[in-house]
Amino acid sequence: MKSSSRFYPLVLGGAALLAVLGLWLIISQMAGPKILPRPWSILEEIARLWRTPLSGRPLSGHIFFSLRRVLAAFGLAVLTGLPLGLALGWFPVFRKIVTPIFEIFRPIPPIAWIPIAILWLGVGEGSKIFICYVGAFIILVLNSLAGTLYVDRTLVNAARVFGANQKRLFLEVALPAALPAIFAGLQNGLSMAWMCVLAAELVGGREGVGFIIIQGMNMDRVDMIMAGMAVIGALGAIFAALLRVLEKTLCPYRKQLV
Amino acid sequence: MSVSLSQKTLDPAELRPLGSKDPSWGRLAAPNPLVRVIKGLLRAAYQEKLSIISLIVFFLLWEGVCYFKIIGPYQLAPPSKVLKLLIAKLATQNPDGAYLWAHALSSLGLALSGFGAATLFGVPLGLLMGWYPRLNHLVRPVFDLLRPIPPIAWIPLAIIWLGIGGVAKGFIIFLAAFVPGVINSFTGARLTNPVLVRVAKIHGASDFTAFWRIGVPSAAPMIFTGLRLSLNAAWTTLVAAELVAASQGLGFMIQMGRRLARPDIVIVGMLTIGLLGAFLSWILSKIERSFFAGRAS
Repeated sequence: MKSSSRFYPLVLGGAALLAVLGLWLIISQMAGPKILPRPWSILEEIARLWRTPLSGRPLSGHIFFSLRRVLAAFGLAVLTGLPLGLALGWFPVFRKIVTPIFEIFRPIPPIAWIPIAILWLGVGEGSKIFICYVGAFIILVLNSLAGTLYVDRTLVNAARVFGANQKRLFLEVALPAALPAIFAGLQNGLSMAWMCVLAAELVGGREGVGFIIIQGMNMDRVDMIMAGMAVIGALGAIFAALLRVLEKTLCPYRKQLV
Repeated sequence: MSVSLSQKTLDPAELRPLGSKDPSWGRLAAPNPLVRVIKGLLRAAYQEKLSIISLIVFFLLWEGVCYFKIIGPYQLAPPSKVLKLLIAKLATQNPDGAYLWAHALSSLGLALSGFGAATLFGVPLGLLMGWYPRLNHLVRPVFDLLRPIPPIAWIPLAIIWLGIGGVAKGFIIFLAAFVPGVINSFTGARLTNPVLVRVAKIHGASDFTAFWRIGVPSAAPMIFTGLRLSLNAAWTTLVAAELVAASQGLGFMIQMGRRLARPDIVIVGMLTIGLLGAFLSWILSKIERSFFAGRAS
């Protein structure tokens, strides 16, 4: 392993990427662009979607719709889920009351809420935001609960010995100690909301990036589907990167694995 | 059973400490296991009375909201109706075309086969990537390029490539379960204590022996974490795939319930999905516990 110079990983990785690209070209040559279009025709398709509207909206409009749903739902989930999780972790009586009800809903995947959300709120914005909200909410509650529940007892006892009251104990010991778990929850919650908005748009929608790929399927246009997938992947990666930056500034003491 | 005084057998009640009023002292020798079970349940119920009361209140509220038509019958079904349908669906195929257990079996089969295939490929790949940096450098860029695309976004492509049958769903579930399996076994292999590896090598172990005898076992807890996440992802993705295109399965059932405006069908389906998901992770945690039994943590 000593042979690895600084450029060694780059060379290996680049070679693998080139090999995948070559394989892609060969397969698309054999199977035809109807099954697997060439990589650049996907880029062309993205450019086309950007210029010409699909169902009344260009690509930017669809991205805007999806983002608005995710952010509205995520914001609501942060406003309700975080306080609930923290309260559950801090007040044992409250935990005993709420946990059994929460446990009924916890194992149900948020995507399984789609049909009932449509029954309740119709096929409009409400049901889509609701589904993303459920997905993010459950994760946020679980993480902030775990964060406050598993605060190091030594820290709590030490603070108590030094005369901290309940308020300071919570604000200055439990909350900072729970912050890493909360951040993990924010990351997972956001990616869950992002996944849920796709699912909701796949099942019923007239706009959004999920609509683009389902429309591509209905029109039998693989290049359109793959263009949509590329946009979805890029947006997801941007989300993740933004949250990592936020985490590094707000919570630099979180242990990072690997 | 009679205790004769002539044998000087002590009545358990006499063992009660002075001043103790706990009546259970007198009944220590309660012979009936059924009685003990009931007593245990009662004690648990007393300790968890808050939780039980809150559950009862929750179900009563739900029933009341439906009874007084605060939420209409096409939006929400009361728990009594849900329970009735849950039992009835075991024996009737109406109105969605299959028995509840047929839907459940079809979903379980798909989820488990996708999960199994993903474990079979993903865990070894992750472990090897964690142990051999060259393999990691080779695979990582391709892996990282595909990772941000949620498995659900593959559904339309899978349907065009593979049709709406089980193969397409298996493919999507495989993708969903593959990523967490790889990432966690990678991390597990990476976090192997280097001292142990060096000791093994000094004693003449080859790199692969060290990997097999030290790297893999010490990664086991992380592998199980990955399996748990994979299983969750597989189950969630399965529901999504069945919502988009299916003719059987629990996701199809709740979709039919929506089309027929039958909230009771939707809720029965949701509860079954939740229960089965919880059951699967329970089985996995049992396997995990028996795997680590007898090992110091």
